[in-house]
Amino acid sequence: MSLFLLYLLLLKGTITAFAGLASLPVIQEALVFQHHVLTDKQLNEAVVITRSTPGPVGLYIVSVGYFVAGVPGAIAGWLAMITPALLIIPLVHFAGRKIEHPRVKAVLQSVVIASAGLLLAAAIPLARDALTDPITIAIAAVSLVVLLTTKLDTLWLILASAVVSLSAASLGLIARI
Amino acid sequence: MADSTDSNAPPSLGGIGWVFTRYANFTLGGGSATTAVLHHELLEKRHWLNDDRFTLCYALGRLTPGTNLLAVCTGIGWLLHGMSGAVVALLAASIPCTIMVTVLTALFSHWQENAFAQAAIHGAVAAAVAITVKTCWTIAKPHFKGQARLRVLLIGAAAFLLHVVVAIPAIQVLLLAAVIGTFLPLAANS
Repeated sequence: MSLFLLYLLLLKGTITAFAGLASLPVIQEALVFQHHVLTDKQLNEAVVITRSTPGPVGLYIVSVGYFVAGVPGAIAGWLAMITPALLIIPLVHFAGRKIEHPRVKAVLQSVVIASAGLLLAAAIPLARDALTDPITIAIAAVSLVVLLTTKLDTLWLILASAVVSLSAASLGLIARI
Repeated sequence: MADSTDSNAPPSLGGIGWVFTRYANFTLGGGSATTAVLHHELLEKRHWLNDDRFTLCYALGRLTPGTNLLAVCTGIGWLLHGMSGAVVALLAASIPCTIMVTVLTALFSHWQENAFAQAAIHGAVAAAVAITVKTCWTIAKPHFKGQARLRVLLIGAAAFLLHVVVAIPAIQVLLLAAVIGTFLPLAANS
């Protein structure tokens, strides 16, 4: 896959999303299902990596780019991540507060809510790939409850999950190593 | 050209670059926490812009596609120093964290060969599934209030089903949602 095509495919995801992970379904569709240059496992790992660093969630695109094409791919991911941000300049310059128009807000609201539904759909293959034994299913279930009920930073959750899984494997509870 | 700042002379490009490098890349807690830290740094500490302008950038950032935080930083950079300020803010807010993620991804690929690391990664990836599912709620939650609750449930469920059951591509579902949004009656609380 050429870097320019990779950039365009990633951009298609970022330019139609209004929150970090909301671009995931479009990216998954293009790179995992259509072009087969990425796996659901790598997509999951990209989320892990990004949530282990302090930067914005949208950075997972950089990880995705790296998995597809190494450092040049990561640069394509970075470009796809920053390109839409430039659109705020005409918005600030020309639109100002007019953008608060109820109709504009209604359109954006619909798109944002639809992206939440799509993200839930995208989580299905990710879960199928990652939740392969009782331990990982338990980790995901407990993590979800913790995320919904506390304000714990995801970094600690990822570290705790890694420790639990490592301990379980060391104790022979899961036959992976 | 962007308007001048509120009181003092416009900050230098180096100053803008430093503030966004330091606070947009190294604040744990995601976009909201970073926005709060930037608010403190730019308004209360440095008095580079007033609350109205910050709020404008924040609101428009949420309406700009892609990563909201980067759009907010770009918008603030534009207000502070025109186009060069916008570009410096965007680069400063995105390059250090991109390098961090690239290095971590490279290490990740390397660690895959280690059995213990693999076990740890397996657990971390399970947590990532929970993070992705929870993000659905994070995205929908601000809209889930008053009379709009039914709308959130209907549009969210319709998008999910159209994609999973009818196999309509994600991008077409989003476009369809935009079209529906233009015809929906305006919610009383929007």
